[in-house]
Amino acid sequence: MKNENVDFNISDVITTELISVDLRADTKKEAIEELTELLVIKGDVTDRQAFIDDVVLRESEGITGLGQGIAIPHGKSQAVKNTSLAIGISQHGIEWESLDDELVSVIILFAVKDTDANTLHIRLLQKVAILLADDNFITKLHEIKDKEELIKLLNRKTKEV
Amino acid sequence: MKIVGIAACTSGIAHTYIAREKIMKAAQELGYEIHMETQGTIGTENKLTAEQIKEADFVLLVIDIKIGGSERFAGKRVVEVPTNTAIKAPKKLLQTIIDKL
Repeated sequence: MKNENVDFNISDVITTELISVDLRADTKKEAIEELTELLVIKGDVTDRQAFIDDVVLRESEGITGLGQGIAIPHGKSQAVKNTSLAIGISQHGIEWESLDDELVSVIILFAVKDTDANTLHIRLLQKVAILLADDNFITKLHEIKDKEELIKLLNRKTKEV
Repeated sequence: MKIVGIAACTSGIAHTYIAREKIMKAAQELGYEIHMETQGTIGTENKLTAEQIKEADFVLLVIDIKIGGSERFAGKRVVEVPTNTAIKAPKKLLQTIIDKL
């Protein structure tokens, strides 16, 4: 899915303001709320509760825990102003319905503007999704210690896919 | 062994592309030729050609929703699984299907 004509830059969908490397949340619900808060503060989500409701609705439709400690809750919502990602890393692990029944420690929340289809932002989200099929990327994701390091990893890797 | 397939999930944002990638990698590691189309938010990508479908030993639908263009597979052996099955154990999935062919 290479597209040589477009200069992808991960900062279009995620910045350090949208990352927490020490999530306080103890539950899945709290984790979704905590990450949504980051999107609200940044201005990418305009209606906190409406977005959370859409994410929870998607959760009810199928498991978003991919296994290997990763979960990808997502909401396609009118409450999203700019299609973005928020990423939370938990130091203690969070219970989440998951394909391997293990705790989740990296949560990547996809916030998608409901009118976006084939946009640059959606392309970037697609690239992040593709990376999640790569064991090497997953290993590196679990080694992340700070926000800048995570941005650098995403930036480098999304240019490879 | 030649395989064609389609991946499509509920919101068409993430699982579609993770599932495709996992199945493609697994097939390549097992030495099979594979072509996988995606039907997602972006629309249809890597659209299967008539030739690819004709040559395929079976069709693998990795889907959580109804897809478009299933009439293309008339007369073919079609296996359908949810995206999470493909994400969880892609190699095992392919091996199980092929063992049963």
